[in-house]
Amino acid sequence: MNGLAISSDGLTKDYRKVRAVDDLSLGVPEGSVYGFLGRNGAGKTTTIKMLLGLTRPGTGSAQVLGLDILKGHLAILERTAYVSETKILFESMTTEELVRFNRGFFSRWSDEAASKYAALLEIPPRQRFGKLSRGNRTKVCLLLALAQKADLLILDEPTAGLDPVAVDEVLRILIEDHVSRGHAVFFSSHHLAEVERVADWVGILDHGRLLLEARLEDVRSQFRRITASGNGLPSKASPPVLAWSQSEQFWKYIVTRDSEQFATALREQGAAVVEVSPLNLQEIFLELVRKEAPCTSGSVGATHAGVV
Amino acid sequence: MLIHINPSTGVPIYCQIESQVKQAVAAGAFREGYALPSVRKLAAELRINPNTVARAYQELERSGVIRTVPGGGTFVADNVPGLLKSEKIRRLRPLVRQVAVEGTQLRLTSPEILGLVAEELEKLGGRR
Repeated sequence: MNGLAISSDGLTKDYRKVRAVDDLSLGVPEGSVYGFLGRNGAGKTTTIKMLLGLTRPGTGSAQVLGLDILKGHLAILERTAYVSETKILFESMTTEELVRFNRGFFSRWSDEAASKYAALLEIPPRQRFGKLSRGNRTKVCLLLALAQKADLLILDEPTAGLDPVAVDEVLRILIEDHVSRGHAVFFSSHHLAEVERVADWVGILDHGRLLLEARLEDVRSQFRRITASGNGLPSKASPPVLAWSQSEQFWKYIVTRDSEQFATALREQGAAVVEVSPLNLQEIFLELVRKEAPCTSGSVGATHAGVV
Repeated sequence: MLIHINPSTGVPIYCQIESQVKQAVAAGAFREGYALPSVRKLAAELRINPNTVARAYQELERSGVIRTVPGGGTFVADNVPGLLKSEKIRRLRPLVRQVAVEGTQLRLTSPEILGLVAEELEKLGGRR
Protein backbone atom coordinates (compact mmCIF):
# COMPACT_ATOMS: atom_id res chain seq x y z
CA MET A 1 0.00 0.00 0.00
CA ASN A 2 2.83 2.38 -0.87
CA GLY A 3 3.66 2.89 2.77
CA LEU A 4 0.46 4.85 3.22
CA ALA A 5 -2.19 4.13 5.84
CA ILE A 6 -4.61 6.47 4.06
CA SER A 7 -4.41 7.82 0.55
CA SER A 8 -6.95 9.65 -1.50
CA ASP A 9 -7.04 10.87 -5.04
CA GLY A 10 -9.28 13.73 -6.14
CA LEU A 11 -11.87 13.07 -3.47
CA THR A 12 -14.83 15.41 -3.95
CA LYS A 13 -18.18 15.68 -2.20
CA ASP A 14 -21.05 18.09 -2.77
CA TYR A 15 -23.95 18.69 -0.41
CA ARG A 16 -26.63 20.21 -2.63
CA LYS A 17 -24.87 23.25 -4.01
CA VAL A 18 -22.06 23.39 -1.51
CA ARG A 19 -18.77 21.71 -2.34
CA ALA A 20 -17.75 20.28 1.03
CA VAL A 21 -14.59 18.52 -0.14
CA ASP A 22 -12.84 19.61 -3.29
CA ASP A 23 -10.38 17.44 -5.20
CA LEU A 24 -8.68 16.19 -2.07
CA SER A 25 -5.51 14.13 -2.42
CA LEU A 26 -4.14 13.05 0.93
CA GLY A 27 -1.25 10.80 1.88
CA VAL A 28 -1.04 9.58 5.47
CA PRO A 29 2.12 7.50 5.96
CA GLU A 30 1.99 4.28 7.96
CA GLY A 31 2.98 4.80 11.55
CA SER A 32 2.50 8.54 11.37
CA VAL A 33 0.52 10.82 13.58
CA TYR A 34 -1.27 13.03 11.11
CA GLY A 35 -2.95 16.22 12.32
CA PHE A 36 -5.81 17.17 10.02
CA LEU A 37 -6.49 20.85 10.51
CA GLY A 38 -9.06 23.28 9.29
CA ARG A 39 -11.65 25.75 10.47
CA ASN A 40 -15.20 24.75 11.31
CA GLY A 41 -16.89 23.67 8.10
CA ALA A 42 -13.62 23.19 6.22
CA GLY A 43 -14.62 19.65 5.27
CA LYS A 44 -12.69 17.60 7.83
CA THR A 45 -15.62 15.58 9.11
CA THR A 46 -16.96 14.97 5.61
CA THR A 47 -13.53 13.69 4.58
CA ILE A 48 -13.36 11.38 7.57
CA LYS A 49 -16.84 10.02 6.87
CA MET A 50 -15.91 9.29 3.27
CA LEU A 51 -12.77 7.47 4.37
CA LEU A 52 -14.85 5.26 6.64
CA GLY A 53 -17.53 4.60 4.05
CA LEU A 54 -20.12 6.48 6.09
CA THR A 55 -20.86 8.78 3.19
CA ARG A 56 -20.14 8.27 -0.51
CA PRO A 57 -17.79 10.55 -2.40
CA GLY A 58 -19.12 12.33 -5.46
CA THR A 59 -15.95 11.65 -7.41
CA GLY A 60 -12.44 10.50 -6.62
CA SER A 61 -11.13 7.49 -4.80
CA ALA A 62 -9.39 6.58 -1.58
CA GLN A 63 -7.71 3.66 0.14
CA VAL A 64 -7.60 3.05 3.84
CA LEU A 65 -5.10 0.39 4.97
CA GLY A 66 -4.82 -0.52 1.32
CA LEU A 67 -8.57 -1.18 1.03
CA ASP A 68 -10.78 0.71 -1.37
CA ILE A 69 -13.31 2.82 0.56
CA LEU A 70 -16.21 1.77 -1.66
CA LYS A 71 -15.52 -1.94 -2.00
CA GLY A 72 -13.79 -2.57 1.30
CA HIS A 73 -15.56 -0.39 3.80
CA LEU A 74 -16.63 -3.22 6.09
CA ALA A 75 -13.06 -4.47 6.33
CA ILE A 76 -11.95 -0.89 6.91
CA LEU A 77 -14.42 -0.47 9.78
CA GLU A 78 -13.21 -3.70 11.33
CA ARG A 79 -9.57 -2.62 11.33
CA THR A 80 -10.06 1.06 12.08
CA ALA A 81 -11.21 2.63 15.31
CA TYR A 82 -13.17 5.82 14.95
CA VAL A 83 -14.16 8.57 17.35
CA SER A 84 -16.81 10.75 15.80
CA GLU A 85 -17.04 14.47 16.12
CA THR A 86 -20.48 14.26 17.75
CA LYS A 87 -19.54 11.63 20.38
CA ILE A 88 -23.07 10.30 20.59
CA LEU A 89 -23.64 6.90 22.19
CA PHE A 90 -26.69 5.32 23.85
CA GLU A 91 -27.64 7.83 26.54
CA SER A 92 -29.20 5.35 28.90
CA MET A 93 -26.23 2.99 29.04
CA THR A 94 -23.48 3.24 31.66
CA THR A 95 -19.79 3.09 30.72
CA GLU A 96 -19.64 -0.55 31.82
CA GLU A 97 -22.66 -1.42 29.71
CA LEU A 98 -21.25 0.39 26.70
CA VAL A 99 -18.03 -1.57 27.03
CA ARG A 100 -19.95 -4.86 27.23
CA PHE A 101 -22.08 -3.82 24.26
CA ASN A 102 -19.13 -2.80 22.06
CA ARG A 103 -16.66 -5.57 22.76
CA GLY A 104 -18.60 -8.14 20.75
CA PHE A 105 -18.21 -6.21 17.51
CA PHE A 106 -14.42 -6.28 17.38
CA SER A 107 -12.35 -9.42 17.06
CA ARG A 108 -9.25 -7.89 18.62
CA TRP A 109 -11.01 -6.16 21.51
CA SER A 110 -8.95 -6.13 24.72
CA ASP A 111 -10.80 -6.16 28.05
CA GLU A 112 -7.52 -5.56 29.76
CA ALA A 113 -6.93 -2.38 27.73
CA ALA A 114 -10.50 -1.26 28.36
CA SER A 115 -10.15 -1.45 32.13
CA LYS A 116 -6.68 0.10 31.99
CA TYR A 117 -7.91 3.12 30.03
CA ALA A 118 -11.03 3.49 32.17
CA ALA A 119 -8.74 3.77 35.19
CA LEU A 120 -6.12 6.02 33.54
CA LEU A 121 -8.74 8.40 32.22
CA GLU A 122 -10.75 8.27 35.46
CA ILE A 123 -14.03 7.49 33.75
CA PRO A 124 -17.02 7.00 36.08
CA PRO A 125 -18.00 3.35 35.43
CA ARG A 126 -21.61 3.36 36.54
CA GLN A 127 -22.95 6.67 35.34
CA ARG A 128 -25.26 6.74 32.36
CA PHE A 129 -23.66 8.19 29.24
CA GLY A 130 -26.42 10.82 29.01
CA LYS A 131 -25.49 12.13 32.46
CA LEU A 132 -21.77 12.48 31.76
CA SER A 133 -19.99 15.78 31.20
CA ARG A 134 -18.73 16.60 27.71
CA GLY A 135 -15.17 15.69 28.65
CA ASN A 136 -16.18 12.37 30.14
CA ARG A 137 -18.23 11.52 27.04
CA THR A 138 -15.15 12.13 24.94
CA LYS A 139 -13.16 9.86 27.24
CA VAL A 140 -15.72 7.05 26.91
CA CYS A 141 -15.54 7.32 23.11
CA LEU A 142 -11.75 7.20 23.25
CA LEU A 143 -11.85 4.21 25.58
CA LEU A 144 -14.11 2.30 23.19
CA ALA A 145 -11.85 3.18 20.25
CA LEU A 146 -8.55 2.36 21.95
CA ALA A 147 -9.69 -0.99 23.36
CA GLN A 148 -10.36 -2.22 19.82
CA LYS A 149 -6.61 -2.57 19.25
CA ALA A 150 -7.19 -1.33 15.73
CA ASP A 151 -4.57 -0.90 13.02
CA LEU A 152 -5.55 2.70 12.46
CA LEU A 153 -7.18 5.35 14.61
CA ILE A 154 -9.32 7.98 12.95
CA LEU A 155 -10.24 10.54 15.55
CA ASP A 156 -12.45 13.53 14.90
CA GLU A 157 -11.55 16.08 17.56
CA PRO A 158 -10.47 13.48 20.11
CA THR A 159 -9.59 15.97 22.82
CA ALA A 160 -12.65 18.23 22.61
CA GLY A 161 -13.83 19.12 26.08
CA LEU A 162 -10.93 17.43 27.88
CA ASP A 163 -8.98 19.20 30.60
CA PRO A 164 -5.22 19.64 30.06
CA VAL A 165 -4.30 16.70 32.30
CA ALA A 166 -6.65 14.41 30.40
CA VAL A 167 -5.31 15.67 27.05
CA ASP A 168 -1.79 14.90 28.18
CA GLU A 169 -2.80 11.42 29.32
CA VAL A 170 -4.58 10.72 26.01
CA LEU A 171 -1.51 11.77 24.03
CA ARG A 172 0.68 9.53 26.15
CA ILE A 173 -1.63 6.56 25.63
CA LEU A 174 -1.77 7.16 21.88
CA ILE A 175 2.02 7.25 21.60
CA GLU A 176 2.79 4.43 24.00
CA ASP A 177 0.11 1.92 23.06
CA HIS A 178 -0.71 2.74 19.48
CA VAL A 179 1.95 4.66 17.55
CA SER A 180 4.80 2.72 19.14
CA ARG A 181 3.30 -0.42 17.63
CA GLY A 182 3.71 1.17 14.21
CA HIS A 183 0.09 2.14 13.73
CA ALA A 184 -1.05 5.47 12.37
CA VAL A 185 -3.33 8.05 13.94
CA PHE A 186 -5.29 10.42 11.73
CA PHE A 187 -6.93 13.08 13.82
CA SER A 188 -8.59 16.45 13.45
CA SER A 189 -8.09 19.09 16.07
CA HIS A 190 -8.29 22.78 16.74
CA HIS A 191 -5.60 22.64 19.42
CA LEU A 192 -2.58 23.54 17.36
CA ALA A 193 -0.08 23.37 20.21
CA GLU A 194 -1.09 19.78 20.91
CA VAL A 195 -0.93 18.90 17.22
CA GLU A 196 2.49 20.46 16.99
CA ARG A 197 3.76 18.28 19.79
CA VAL A 198 2.32 14.92 18.95
CA ALA A 199 1.92 14.96 15.17
CA ASP A 200 4.66 14.33 12.66
CA TRP A 201 2.53 15.19 9.64
CA VAL A 202 -0.02 17.95 9.12
CA GLY A 203 -2.61 18.65 6.50
CA ILE A 204 -4.46 21.96 6.38
CA LEU A 205 -7.86 21.98 4.77
CA ASP A 206 -9.84 25.10 3.88
CA HIS A 207 -13.12 25.26 1.99
CA GLY A 208 -12.69 21.62 1.14
CA ARG A 209 -9.26 22.09 -0.41
CA LEU A 210 -5.96 20.88 0.92
CA LEU A 211 -3.74 23.95 1.21
CA LEU A 212 -0.79 22.19 2.73
CA GLU A 213 0.42 18.71 3.49
CA ALA A 214 3.85 18.48 5.03
CA ARG A 215 6.10 16.72 7.47
CA LEU A 216 6.31 18.82 10.63
CA GLU A 217 10.08 18.47 10.78
CA ASP A 218 10.25 20.09 7.34
CA VAL A 219 7.96 22.86 8.53
CA ARG A 220 10.32 23.48 11.44
CA SER A 221 13.55 23.30 9.55
CA GLN A 222 12.58 24.82 6.20
CA PHE A 223 9.45 26.94 6.40
CA ARG A 224 10.35 30.57 6.99
CA ARG A 225 8.62 33.91 7.10
CA ILE A 226 10.53 36.51 5.13
CA THR A 227 9.75 40.15 5.68
CA ALA A 228 11.16 42.59 3.16
CA SER A 229 10.64 46.18 2.25
CA GLY A 230 10.94 47.59 -1.23
CA ASN A 231 8.98 48.36 -4.34
CA GLY A 232 7.47 46.02 -6.88
CA LEU A 233 8.53 42.84 -5.14
CA PRO A 234 7.25 39.51 -6.43
CA SER A 235 3.55 39.03 -5.77
CA LYS A 236 3.08 35.47 -6.84
CA ALA A 237 2.36 32.47 -4.72
CA SER A 238 4.29 29.94 -6.69
CA PRO A 239 6.82 27.58 -5.11
CA PRO A 240 8.60 28.03 -2.85
CA VAL A 241 6.17 30.80 -1.82
CA LEU A 242 3.22 29.31 -0.02
CA ALA A 243 1.51 32.60 0.80
CA TRP A 244 2.31 36.27 0.67
CA SER A 245 0.82 39.54 1.80
CA GLN A 246 1.69 43.19 1.43
CA SER A 247 1.04 46.25 3.50
CA GLU A 248 2.50 49.55 2.38
CA GLN A 249 6.10 48.93 1.39
CA PHE A 250 6.36 45.72 3.41
CA TRP A 251 6.05 42.33 1.81
CA LYS A 252 5.65 39.19 3.83
CA TYR A 253 6.30 35.78 2.31
CA ILE A 254 5.98 32.30 3.65
CA VAL A 255 8.35 30.02 1.85
CA THR A 256 8.44 26.26 2.18
CA ARG A 257 12.15 25.86 1.42
CA ASP A 258 15.26 27.66 0.15
CA SER A 259 14.59 30.71 2.32
CA GLU A 260 18.16 31.94 2.02
CA GLN A 261 18.11 31.83 -1.77
CA PHE A 262 14.77 33.59 -1.79
CA ALA A 263 16.06 36.32 0.51
CA THR A 264 19.13 36.74 -1.68
CA ALA A 265 16.94 37.06 -4.76
CA LEU A 266 14.90 39.77 -3.01
CA ARG A 267 18.06 41.66 -2.10
CA GLU A 268 19.18 41.47 -5.70
CA GLN A 269 15.94 43.20 -6.64
CA GLY A 270 16.85 46.05 -4.32
CA ALA A 271 14.74 44.97 -1.35
CA ALA A 272 15.83 45.26 2.26
CA VAL A 273 15.23 41.92 3.93
CA VAL A 274 14.07 42.76 7.41
CA GLU A 275 13.69 39.29 8.84
CA VAL A 276 13.88 35.61 8.03
CA SER A 277 12.28 33.70 10.86
CA PRO A 278 10.77 30.31 11.61
CA LEU A 279 7.03 30.01 12.14
CA ASN A 280 5.00 27.84 14.42
CA LEU A 281 1.98 25.87 13.30
CA GLN A 282 -0.46 28.46 14.60
CA GLU A 283 1.17 31.19 12.51
CA ILE A 284 1.20 29.06 9.38
CA PHE A 285 -2.41 28.07 9.93
CA LEU A 286 -3.52 31.68 10.35
CA GLU A 287 -1.54 32.85 7.33
CA LEU A 288 -3.08 30.16 5.18
CA VAL A 289 -6.73 30.18 6.18
CA ARG A 290 -7.41 33.66 7.48
CA LYS A 291 -10.04 35.35 5.36
CA GLU A 292 -8.01 38.41 4.53
CA ALA A 293 -5.05 36.32 3.41
CA PRO A 294 -5.00 37.55 -0.18
CA CYS A 295 -3.32 34.76 -2.02
CA THR A 296 -2.35 31.24 -1.36
CA SER A 297 -0.97 29.01 -3.98
CA GLY A 298 -3.63 26.42 -3.25
CA SER A 299 -1.42 24.29 -5.36
CA VAL A 300 -1.22 21.08 -3.47
CA GLY A 301 0.90 19.41 -6.08
CA ALA A 302 3.46 22.13 -5.80
CA THR A 303 3.56 21.83 -2.04
CA HIS A 304 3.99 18.10 -2.37
CA ALA A 305 6.79 18.45 -4.83
CA GLY A 306 8.58 21.10 -2.85
CA VAL A 307 8.15 20.04 0.69
CA VAL A 308 6.88 16.58 1.20
CA MET B 1 15.55 11.96 32.00
CA LEU B 2 16.12 15.66 31.68
CA ILE B 3 15.07 16.23 28.12
CA HIS B 4 12.41 18.75 27.26
CA ILE B 5 11.34 19.90 23.89
CA ASN B 6 9.67 22.98 22.53
CA PRO B 7 7.60 21.99 19.53
CA SER B 8 6.92 25.53 18.36
CA THR B 9 10.41 26.76 17.59
CA GLY B 10 12.02 26.46 14.21
CA VAL B 11 14.28 23.70 15.47
CA PRO B 12 13.36 20.15 14.46
CA ILE B 13 12.49 18.09 17.52
CA TYR B 14 15.05 15.41 16.73
CA CYS B 15 17.74 18.13 16.72
CA GLN B 16 16.52 19.39 20.09
CA ILE B 17 16.86 15.91 21.57
CA GLU B 18 20.20 15.37 19.89
CA SER B 19 21.71 18.60 21.18
CA GLN B 20 20.34 18.10 24.70
CA VAL B 21 21.86 14.65 24.95
CA LYS B 22 25.16 16.02 23.66
CA GLN B 23 24.95 18.81 26.20
CA ALA B 24 24.20 16.40 29.03
CA VAL B 25 27.16 14.27 28.00
CA ALA B 26 29.42 17.32 27.72
CA ALA B 27 28.31 18.51 31.14
CA GLY B 28 28.92 15.10 32.65
CA ALA B 29 25.25 14.58 33.57
CA PHE B 30 25.16 11.48 31.38
CA ARG B 31 28.31 9.50 32.05
CA GLU B 32 29.82 6.68 30.03
CA GLY B 33 27.52 3.70 30.06
CA TYR B 34 24.50 5.71 31.15
CA ALA B 35 21.41 3.94 29.83
CA LEU B 36 19.11 6.16 27.83
CA PRO B 37 15.40 5.37 27.86
CA SER B 38 14.06 3.26 25.01
CA VAL B 39 12.71 5.04 21.96
CA ARG B 40 9.20 4.07 22.92
CA LYS B 41 9.57 5.23 26.50
CA LEU B 42 11.09 8.59 25.66
CA ALA B 43 8.48 9.17 22.95
CA ALA B 44 5.67 8.47 25.41
CA GLU B 45 7.31 10.67 28.02
CA LEU B 46 7.69 13.60 25.63
CA ARG B 47 4.38 12.90 23.80
CA ILE B 48 6.09 12.83 20.44
CA ASN B 49 6.24 10.38 17.58
CA PRO B 50 8.65 7.46 18.22
CA ASN B 51 10.13 7.98 14.75
CA THR B 52 11.37 11.37 15.89
CA VAL B 53 13.17 9.87 18.88
CA ALA B 54 14.55 7.09 16.70
CA ARG B 55 15.96 9.68 14.32
CA ALA B 56 17.63 11.58 17.18
CA TYR B 57 19.18 8.34 18.46
CA GLN B 58 20.40 7.47 14.95
CA GLU B 59 22.10 10.83 14.60
CA LEU B 60 23.67 10.47 18.04
CA GLU B 61 24.89 7.01 17.23
CA ARG B 62 26.31 8.20 13.92
CA SER B 63 28.32 10.87 15.67
CA GLY B 64 29.51 8.33 18.22
CA VAL B 65 27.86 9.81 21.30
CA ILE B 66 25.75 6.76 22.06
CA ARG B 67 25.82 3.12 21.13
CA THR B 68 22.93 0.73 20.74
CA VAL B 69 23.22 -2.84 21.87
CA PRO B 70 20.76 -4.88 19.81
CA GLY B 71 17.99 -5.94 22.16
CA GLY B 72 19.86 -4.50 25.09
CA GLY B 73 19.28 -0.78 25.06
CA THR B 74 21.02 2.46 24.29
CA PHE B 75 24.02 3.74 26.22
CA VAL B 76 26.30 6.72 26.30
CA ALA B 77 29.40 5.60 24.40
CA ASP B 78 32.49 4.63 26.37
CA ASN B 79 34.78 7.11 24.78
CA VAL B 80 33.15 9.67 22.60
CA PRO B 81 35.51 9.43 19.66
CA GLY B 82 37.85 12.34 19.15
CA LEU B 83 36.95 14.31 16.10
CA LEU B 84 39.65 16.14 14.24
CA LYS B 85 40.16 19.56 15.71
CA SER B 86 39.40 21.15 12.36
CA GLU B 87 36.11 19.24 12.16
CA LYS B 88 35.16 20.35 15.67
CA ILE B 89 35.84 23.93 14.70
CA ARG B 90 33.90 23.55 11.48
CA ARG B 91 30.85 22.36 13.42
CA LEU B 92 31.03 25.06 16.04
CA ARG B 93 31.74 28.01 13.78
CA PRO B 94 28.15 28.64 12.56
CA LEU B 95 26.89 28.77 16.14
CA VAL B 96 29.64 31.15 17.15
CA ARG B 97 28.89 33.31 14.14
CA GLN B 98 25.27 33.48 15.20
CA VAL B 99 26.26 34.58 18.70
CA ALA B 100 28.53 37.22 17.22
CA VAL B 101 25.84 38.57 14.86
CA GLU B 102 23.04 38.54 17.42
CA GLY B 103 25.29 40.06 20.07
CA THR B 104 26.39 42.85 17.79
CA GLN B 105 22.84 43.56 16.70
CA LEU B 106 21.85 43.86 20.35
CA ARG B 107 24.73 46.34 20.70
CA LEU B 108 26.63 44.32 23.24
CA THR B 109 30.37 44.94 23.28
CA SER B 110 32.88 42.25 22.39
CA PRO B 111 34.02 41.84 26.02
CA GLU B 112 30.37 41.47 27.08
CA ILE B 113 29.74 38.77 24.49
CA LEU B 114 32.95 36.96 25.34
CA GLY B 115 32.07 37.28 29.02
CA LEU B 116 28.75 35.52 28.41
CA VAL B 117 30.46 32.68 26.60
CA ALA B 118 32.96 32.39 29.43
CA GLU B 119 30.11 32.26 31.96
CA GLU B 120 28.41 29.42 30.10
CA LEU B 121 31.69 27.50 29.93
CA GLU B 122 32.11 28.07 33.63
CA LYS B 123 28.69 26.56 34.34
CA LEU B 124 29.55 23.41 32.38
CA GLY B 125 32.92 23.16 34.08
CA GLY B 126 31.31 23.50 37.50
CA ARG B 127 29.32 20.33 36.97
CA ARG B 128 32.18 18.13 35.94
